[in-house]
Amino acid sequence: MASPAYKPLKQEVPVNQNGGPGPGRRSWLAKLIGGWITPEGTEGVFTGEGGGPARTRAGRLNELFARWFSNTASGGRFARWLSKTIALPQLRRLTDETIPWTPLRKPLSECKVVLLTTGGVHLRGDKPFNLNSDSTFRIIPRDARAGDLAISHQAYDRTDALKDINLVFPLERLSELEANHVIGRLADEHYGFGLEGNAQKLIPSIKEVARRISQASVDLALLVPA
Amino acid sequence: MGLLAREIEAAGVTTSSLALVKEVAVAARAPRFAYVHWPFGHALGEPGNVAQQLTVLHDLLSMATSAPRPGLVIELPYRWRREEYQPVIDWTRPSATALSALAWV
Repeated sequence: MASPAYKPLKQEVPVNQNGGPGPGRRSWLAKLIGGWITPEGTEGVFTGEGGGPARTRAGRLNELFARWFSNTASGGRFARWLSKTIALPQLRRLTDETIPWTPLRKPLSECKVVLLTTGGVHLRGDKPFNLNSDSTFRIIPRDARAGDLAISHQAYDRTDALKDINLVFPLERLSELEANHVIGRLADEHYGFGLEGNAQKLIPSIKEVARRISQASVDLALLVPA
Repeated sequence: MGLLAREIEAAGVTTSSLALVKEVAVAARAPRFAYVHWPFGHALGEPGNVAQQLTVLHDLLSMATSAPRPGLVIELPYRWRREEYQPVIDWTRPSATALSALAWV
């Protein structure tokens, strides 16, 4: 049962599923340095090879930063510091001492499980996340294969996740666990989020996804970051 | 992501979340977090290392079944690229890693 003391997030903007920021104008800076900074509006610019997931092209400089974040100790430290600097004040504002609590009511082998990722994963045919910031979410059906997917995110090096999407979205592993009766069954819909530094903007999407999951009679939600 | 977990849990669904930045996980005050000190983009580990990915999923599922109270952040002790992962034998029981981490929080 939901804790009665939990204060739900206040929603201030309308729900906007799959209707992320459109192709905006390129900033003067982006115009000045061409392909170095990810332009606003990155729709459909995929590069993908073989049967694996595709990726949305980011600016060369953004890609360099992402590689530094993911692949070096100094970059990792900087990215953690950045993540704390951006997230901590917002989390302090948007959360309070009351933590909602719904204990698992049945054994895992009877649970309906949903997977959520903030790694920018979505169906190849769907609108890519705006790489600079996007507060919308994407629905990923349970039967999506690696080759049906794409990654639109520029805050981590996607090289390894493109080789094995399970690193940020372990749907394949969970289907194996379902086949082996470790978990009851996978939900029909799973969810991908992109990069969004402004938590307030995410609230409509968060509420909509929570509503969908609850309506689908899901027992357990697993959340995986990028 | 912590806000997402809080809202889903408040809607009556158990959540279990992975984290790559410990301080953010703690500040998010989500119901259950397992933190792993690995590079961004590698929450489940290395590409193709199925045993490693299943180990993390077992720990995450163990958090869902065994965390005794809301707001706990356990730390998974795996070193990046310096561990050998064994296949998970018994999925009906919580992982030893999660249980020992829970004993310390």
